[in-house]
Amino acid sequence: MNSETMRTLSFPGGTHPPQSKQLTQKSRIQPGPPVKQLALMLSQHIGAICEPLVKKGDEVQTSQKIADSDAFVSAPIHSPVNGKVKEISLQSHVVLGRSPAIVITVDADQTIAKSPACDKFTKDFDAQRYSSEQICDAVRQAGIVGMGGAGFPTRVKIEPNPRLPKETMIVNACECEPYITCDYRIMLEWTYQLIAGIKLAQRASGCSKVFIGIEDNKPRAIKVINAALRAQKHVDDIEVVPVKTKYPQGGERQLIRAILKKNVPTGGIPPMIGVLVLNVATCAAIAEAVVCNQPLTYRTVTVTGEAIANPGNFYVPIGMPVADLIEFCGGVTKKSAKVVLGGPMMGIAIADLSTPVTKATGAITVLTPKQIGRAKFEQRETACIRCGRCIEACPEGLNPTTIAHAVKNNLLDVAQKYYMSACTECGCCSYVCPANIEITGYIKTGKILLARQKKKMPR
Amino acid sequence: MLSNITVSPSPHISKHMSTRSIMVDVIIALVPAMIAAVWYFRIHALLLVATCVLTAVLTEYLCNLARQKPNPCESIGDFSAVITGLILAMSVPPQLPLWAAVIGSAFAIAIGKMVFGGLGANIFNPAMVGRAFLTASFGMMMTTWTVPAGIDPAMPKISAENKVDAYTQQTPLAWSKQAIKDKTGADVVNNQLSAMFTGKTGGCLGETSTLALIIGGIYLLIRRTISFHIPLAVLLAAFVFASIAYLINSSAYASPLVHLTGGGMLICAFFIATDPVTAPLTTRGMWIFGIGVGAITMLIRIVGEYPEGIMYSILLMNAVTPLIDRFCKLVPAGGKPHV
Repeated sequence: MNSETMRTLSFPGGTHPPQSKQLTQKSRIQPGPPVKQLALMLSQHIGAICEPLVKKGDEVQTSQKIADSDAFVSAPIHSPVNGKVKEISLQSHVVLGRSPAIVITVDADQTIAKSPACDKFTKDFDAQRYSSEQICDAVRQAGIVGMGGAGFPTRVKIEPNPRLPKETMIVNACECEPYITCDYRIMLEWTYQLIAGIKLAQRASGCSKVFIGIEDNKPRAIKVINAALRAQKHVDDIEVVPVKTKYPQGGERQLIRAILKKNVPTGGIPPMIGVLVLNVATCAAIAEAVVCNQPLTYRTVTVTGEAIANPGNFYVPIGMPVADLIEFCGGVTKKSAKVVLGGPMMGIAIADLSTPVTKATGAITVLTPKQIGRAKFEQRETACIRCGRCIEACPEGLNPTTIAHAVKNNLLDVAQKYYMSACTECGCCSYVCPANIEITGYIKTGKILLARQKKKMPR
Repeated sequence: MLSNITVSPSPHISKHMSTRSIMVDVIIALVPAMIAAVWYFRIHALLLVATCVLTAVLTEYLCNLARQKPNPCESIGDFSAVITGLILAMSVPPQLPLWAAVIGSAFAIAIGKMVFGGLGANIFNPAMVGRAFLTASFGMMMTTWTVPAGIDPAMPKISAENKVDAYTQQTPLAWSKQAIKDKTGADVVNNQLSAMFTGKTGGCLGETSTLALIIGGIYLLIRRTISFHIPLAVLLAAFVFASIAYLINSSAYASPLVHLTGGGMLICAFFIATDPVTAPLTTRGMWIFGIGVGAITMLIRIVGEYPEGIMYSILLMNAVTPLIDRFCKLVPAGGKPHV
């Protein structure tokens, strides 16, 4: 297979929101603002919540482990700074609402990191020097979780599992959400670190083949990574695969469909068909953890949106309040209507700007009323005309309008018959609906109602 | 600046499209056919269209009042009543008395749409419901057809009664029905193909100009207002059935092209069968629906009593659409979940 050939691999369904990447795609990753206080949420990941290892008044050091859990599906949390634990209190979490966090007051003379230790990575990096166990242990110790948004503990993901062996690894470099460019800048600026991390993940998991899936709206990144791969001494079966730019190409199920032409079973996970999918930032963090013994304490965040004065990409400590970052970017110039953590299609709107950045926060998008003006909640909902555009757009092949109307009428069993649980909440259906129906919102509500109902009825 | 921020579920952006913009596209696509109608049938076409549209809109307003809607004008803004009025006007004889058009249009909106719950809730195409009521109530008026001005005098006529600029005559489909009964004479109809293409034949406003309707249909396809499945399925099925009959006996049965261009076949394929509310949701369902419409229409035209079968085939397929949707349930991309 010739990796230089531009093939238009894709998946059925999907939609084309305006990409809006021009706001930040040329901005180099800069260090974030000086920080006075950080709030490290105890729940930074899917899986068991961590227990704090420090208490109020304790002094903490940079990279010190401050919270951990014995559960298998979990990841420890480390302090990004030297400081003192102010309190362990409830802070705002995008998904959980109010959730406990360790609040740290930063020492006055603390200088925050400007960038990761990139110069340690060269084209001669050899992942074979490390064993699979070494890599998995280092990943766990560093507290690495999926940084593409899901926050699944990475060690659990890459560890070889004899019952579900992994043959193929896919690096998710699509970044299909509009506005977000943090992964793109990592690909351009930390190229060798990224490739080292990919090789380490491949070594740890035992995959025989690696595909790097990049959307074709990033030709420069494709060129840079191909050049870096060609320069490498030890490259075993790593190939860049350009895919068609379409939302949600970066969804792992859609990416697997596009590159491997296989479907992950409904309700299943990629290892069931022998596939491992990792985000770009996660791979870069793996390299840092294994080679430099650096735990996951910082991440790249894109601060963007038409309302922001100086949008850009920033390297910030985990736990930095969103308000600090927005202020550092010059604040808002135009009237802002929504502050979204993530992108405009799947991101979550927040009300409390002291919400801290977590390991899975990739972007802060501040949207103006003009951007959201045509979105569903701004307009009155009208009757469904059964036009079928939502069905055409659904990347999972579902029937969103039937599910949404079943939920609306509290017919959750009917909604389940139409596979409500298979919905990935990508937002394509709401995006295309001409009748202003908040289809994704109804389906999300239906899933929560169903979960509550199930809890009430013991098996 | 950050004081008034909204919190609501994703997605936070949306495509700039509305029900109204879809309906406006359909109206624009009907404009060539309307221009052709006025060209051939003069002022009466204009009056008929205006009457049907105004009655439809007024009926919707009154029904909203009866339903005690807080804003009775709101649903008129989506222009679906306008389209129902337009399609009804284009599918009745051009010289239908205006009072009959009023009754038909009011029935179409009130019984065809509003009693079900308004837009999106009706099972049957409202314009076809109105036309069915008119056919049942005023049979004679609904089967007398005017011929456009400027028609070739050599073409056969029923009555020699000359009006100022139009006179009654059989439509191409009526000729073809006659040919089936007589078992001969189908070539008379076949020779009228070019006239049927431009519109110089008898029939209702929406039947005559093939060219105008094709232009409208292409516009809808390019704008992606409709998908190609239903029109293709209707025309394909009609073509196949018409060809079978033509091959069996070409002097009794008109050629397939006559059947495609004559009668309401084109306006049905692009404008009536594609009504999203009354057609299936999935593409597989759309194929079944379109094939059903085409096949039943041809069955009625060839084997049945009536020269035209569009209205009945549409209403019949509308009735089985919920069943089609049940049978064509989509399976997710990852297959059915293991329980």
